[in-house]
Amino acid sequence: MNKKKVYPYWFLLVPLVLYALFFLLPSLLGIFYSFTDWNSRTVDDLHFVGLKNYIEIFASDKDYLSGIGHTLMFTIVSNIVKLIPALFLAVMLQEGLRGKNIYRTLLYLPSILPFVIIGIVFRSVLNYNNGLLNSVLEFLQLGFLKQKWLSDLGVVWKSIVGVDAWRGIGYVMTIFIAGLGAIPKTYYEAAQIDGANFWQRLRHITLPMLSGSIMINLVFGITYGLKVFDIIYVLTNGGPGHATEVMTTYSYQMYANGQYGMSVAFNTILLIITAVVGVFIVRTMSKKEVQQ
Amino acid sequence: MKRKVISAILCASMLTGMLAGCGGGSGSSSAAPEASGAGEASEAPASTGGEASDAGSETGGSAAEATEDFSGQELSILVSAGWMDNRYDETIARFEETYNVTVDLQTIPADQYSDLLQSKLTTDSCADIFWIQSNPFAIESVIVDPEKYCIDFTGAEWAAKMPEARLSSCEYNDKLYGLQIWHNSPEYVMVYNKTMFDELSLSVPKTYAELLTVCEKLAAEGITPWFMPGADGWQHQLAFFQIGGVYEQTKPGLYEGLNNNTETFADNEKMLEVLGQFKELSDKGYFGEDWIGTDSTNMSNEFGDRNCAMAMANSSFIKQIQEDTGTSDEFGLFLIPLGDNDTFPTNPAGPTMFGYNGTEHPELVKTFFNFVCETQSLQEILDNSPAYTNVHMNDDAVEQHWLPEEEAFMSTIDESKMGTSVLQTGTKYTNDYWGDFGADMIAYCQGTMEANDVLKNMDANRAEAAGVVGDPAWQ
Repeated sequence: MNKKKVYPYWFLLVPLVLYALFFLLPSLLGIFYSFTDWNSRTVDDLHFVGLKNYIEIFASDKDYLSGIGHTLMFTIVSNIVKLIPALFLAVMLQEGLRGKNIYRTLLYLPSILPFVIIGIVFRSVLNYNNGLLNSVLEFLQLGFLKQKWLSDLGVVWKSIVGVDAWRGIGYVMTIFIAGLGAIPKTYYEAAQIDGANFWQRLRHITLPMLSGSIMINLVFGITYGLKVFDIIYVLTNGGPGHATEVMTTYSYQMYANGQYGMSVAFNTILLIITAVVGVFIVRTMSKKEVQQ
Repeated sequence: MKRKVISAILCASMLTGMLAGCGGGSGSSSAAPEASGAGEASEAPASTGGEASDAGSETGGSAAEATEDFSGQELSILVSAGWMDNRYDETIARFEETYNVTVDLQTIPADQYSDLLQSKLTTDSCADIFWIQSNPFAIESVIVDPEKYCIDFTGAEWAAKMPEARLSSCEYNDKLYGLQIWHNSPEYVMVYNKTMFDELSLSVPKTYAELLTVCEKLAAEGITPWFMPGADGWQHQLAFFQIGGVYEQTKPGLYEGLNNNTETFADNEKMLEVLGQFKELSDKGYFGEDWIGTDSTNMSNEFGDRNCAMAMANSSFIKQIQEDTGTSDEFGLFLIPLGDNDTFPTNPAGPTMFGYNGTEHPELVKTFFNFVCETQSLQEILDNSPAYTNVHMNDDAVEQHWLPEEEAFMSTIDESKMGTSVLQTGTKYTNDYWGDFGADMIAYCQGTMEANDVLKNMDANRAEAAGVVGDPAWQ
């Protein structure tokens, strides 16, 4: 019996201790500090302030709630914008397309670019006066489509989500391709013999068999969306005005202003939302898998 | 067995390496004095003449004695990029030669400097001299405990060389801690294309109404009247804060009230008027079609190409436009006319050096402060600062390089209009929320905030900062 155990259980101890030390403990400490007046002056002299920091976040005139709203909106929209096109791209590139490996590589490449470089490039591309995008539109006699991509309130979120999708679709697609590769070809052959069209095959074979990959992408996408910071920081830094502030940019500003207690209170709210959503998705998808 | 032996040897060599590394520090520092030649030290005081002996007397002896005292010592300086640049190189080299010491200049990128300084101070590992961007309230808010961290220079000879306005950024509780050697060129006033104004028969606007007329005429010519780089995130606020004098003029005692928490930004009529004017200029497109998305990268070229006529900038920007673009146009300066402002943006803020109280060489630090205040050093610092035209110190022997445009501009301003500091450094905790205020201003211009809410947010932010510090006026 024991021979079947390749590794003894105590092997788990090291990663568990590291996890507890570097993840659980800081998270718990963060939650503790969110109930204090911790700031740049009171590092050695903390006072318990109860829910004051949370009340400030939810009842302040500064509209921190819009930051929470923006975060949730970005999480939903960015996932829709990435997941659906990535799925179709993956299906396309799974078929016998000539040069599909080149396309796969090209689509994946943006994912490995650092956010800072993406920010510099796209701030330049999306510049209203002399950016590449508006210049191309003008060249094509499509000047009426010109936009203030990063400064117009009606357009700025679309620009951010667009750039984020450009960066992230390749990564999502790669996970889908791996999932598609695991579906036996015989299912599709049988369906084709039965006369099933593309959409029927997609609905009755691909999607159910791909639920594992969809779950992974959803969990990654939702946690990424809730924690989003880099892409917004490099493109708009929360602006114009406060139009693209999210929870993490507010948290960052508070930390920079020395209001550490408020900053970790924001992070605690984010932690709770992420944990609840993450557990919900994993449970839902696990149930579906069992049913299948 | 072989593997065990190899492992043991590798472990032993690693351990030896680590021990050698740990012990290296003291060895290298003790080697420094030997490397410096004593001959150089004895020659140096003679070359600097009387000035060096002045410095020596401050430390209780002649320069020659001081040289002997300091010989081989290392003076470390912690500074943010841009505050010293190359302008101190010549003076530092002369200081090293004079006293036979080594200066270790630790220049830190600006965005990391503040955090690094705080950690160095709190861990008692700071350099002998450190710098901060000081203003009349910065010593308390940045250094927090100057008695603990700073050398008290009260009574130092060089104090007399500092202008009264700058002393306020260097003193705390009547004790002198800092030395601020900075310039007094007009900062963030309106730079305009004089040639273009003459061609279009425009005169310099002195009131907001006149500014509107000028902007209207320029816009009709297809020229952006006022180049406003909103995407920088820190420039557009200057239009509101640089005219602090006009707020004080309209409501005397406002600054004192703001510092005692008996006045607020909110409901201040003049401030509301200025914000309203700013929005009107934005709405009319006088800042350019997309000022919120435009940064200052291309600003000098926009002037050179005659795409814009005015901008808020330092007087040295004129030189930059001419050098960058080779334009033959002439440029001039005038006061920001929002709120019918007629006051000069006096600003006592500037990079300021402090002696670290925990230094092992307090006398060497004091000597360095004396040394950089000598006429020869001040002249070197000015001559090696191409962007600055003057050094703001009480020393008539220094040959200043004022631009004719600066002289012409300064001659138009009454001295009585120079008494009030700009709002951001004349009032407590205001400068700390520069970025937040700028974001609020943009939100207001885009119609997602009310003008008074912009001001209310500043009050709320200042109250938070005061609460952090435990300011009794906000208790």
